[in-house]
Amino acid sequence: MENTSKKLKAKDFITVGIFAAILFAVEFAFGMLGYIHPYIVASYVIILPLASGIPMMLFYTKVEKFGMITILSILLAIIMFIGGMGYLGAPLIIGAGVIADLIAKSGQYKSFKKIVISFGIFNLWICANYFPILVTAESYRQDLIDGGYSAEYANNLFAAINVKTIGVLVVLCFIFGCIGAVIGKAVVKKHFEKAGIV
Amino acid sequence: MKLDPRTKLFMVFVVSLIVMMSAITPFLWAIRLSITLIPIILMILEKKYSSALKFLLAYASALVLMFYFLSEQSEGLIASLLIGYCGIVVQFMPALITAWYVVRTTKIGEFMSCMQKMHVPDGIAVSLAVVMRFFPTIKEEYSSINDAMRMRGVMLGGGNVLRMFEFRMIPLLFSCVNIGEELSAAAITRGLGGEVKRSSVIELKLGIADFFLMAFLTAATVIFVVFKYFL
Repeated sequence: MENTSKKLKAKDFITVGIFAAILFAVEFAFGMLGYIHPYIVASYVIILPLASGIPMMLFYTKVEKFGMITILSILLAIIMFIGGMGYLGAPLIIGAGVIADLIAKSGQYKSFKKIVISFGIFNLWICANYFPILVTAESYRQDLIDGGYSAEYANNLFAAINVKTIGVLVVLCFIFGCIGAVIGKAVVKKHFEKAGIV
Repeated sequence: MKLDPRTKLFMVFVVSLIVMMSAITPFLWAIRLSITLIPIILMILEKKYSSALKFLLAYASALVLMFYFLSEQSEGLIASLLIGYCGIVVQFMPALITAWYVVRTTKIGEFMSCMQKMHVPDGIAVSLAVVMRFFPTIKEEYSSINDAMRMRGVMLGGGNVLRMFEFRMIPLLFSCVNIGEELSAAAITRGLGGEVKRSSVIELKLGIADFFLMAFLTAATVIFVVFKYFL
């Protein structure tokens, strides 16, 4: 790891792949809850940043070069597409990844403050998944009802996520991303630094 | 039957695309069902009978429930739980089962050589390959962690949700990081990340079955889109 070269190595790619898989597993486990009630879908902005804080902080300790967070976001976009989330959010997911990467880079991937902000921005990928709901609101609602959901579910979903609330959701997402980062860092310190893994 | 990885990737793409758009008319449902049947048939051809059967049962029961017991008007707790179950199965299972089929039947060498042929940047190809290989590992590690906890009598972390989460997450991360180290060592000894262009033992060729399946998938997508949005 003492290598100063800026180019990404095979080892870095493998790290990214592993953490993408872990992140997706976490996302998947909580994501399934959303089918019970649409308000849970809206509360992803709180649950997911907190839950993914630990693996992501561990990931940040392994990041030393530009590009790793970007690739992670590209992988997330691909997985989200396969998972049926649509392609509309994909550019936003990757955009959030690139910005998060740039912020973390400005702190040389060491400054904890920058990492907290970077993780907050990175979490906006969760909001990117709401994007299709906003843009195609009318047809999306019809799709849900045709697709077998009850009108109750659709109405609740749109009560929770619409053009007015998205601002709040984005801010919440960022704030809880920062909180998740702090908690994650504490856990990483408690378990991993003691064990000498980091 | 041996399919080219490129065909399989195309299949994943098409299935997730079609699953994303809701089917309204019976005709669109028919297309959607036939698309869903493809991975099942392929699994049967690969002699994975039990998975195929399990998926078929889950999917069929979800469909029956959805059409006969749930409607726009259904309300209440049981209905919403049922909607949850049906929503997950009908919406995501086809894409998941296709992805599962691809992961199970594609060797990592095939996948890499396919990515190389499609000129995907090395970084994304390697990371994707790792993601593909890693899901089964996560599942395995997770169940061994559960076993270990049961052996020591730690059940559900004493009812504390946070500890429940911590007790599973931390060991899982530990083993994943370690496996990652081993994986990188193994990959580097095989010349991954070297300066020269890598060659591959596996020569990929598109066969008749590939062309047939691709044509079918493309046709299904076009018909679906045309009938949904233009007619």
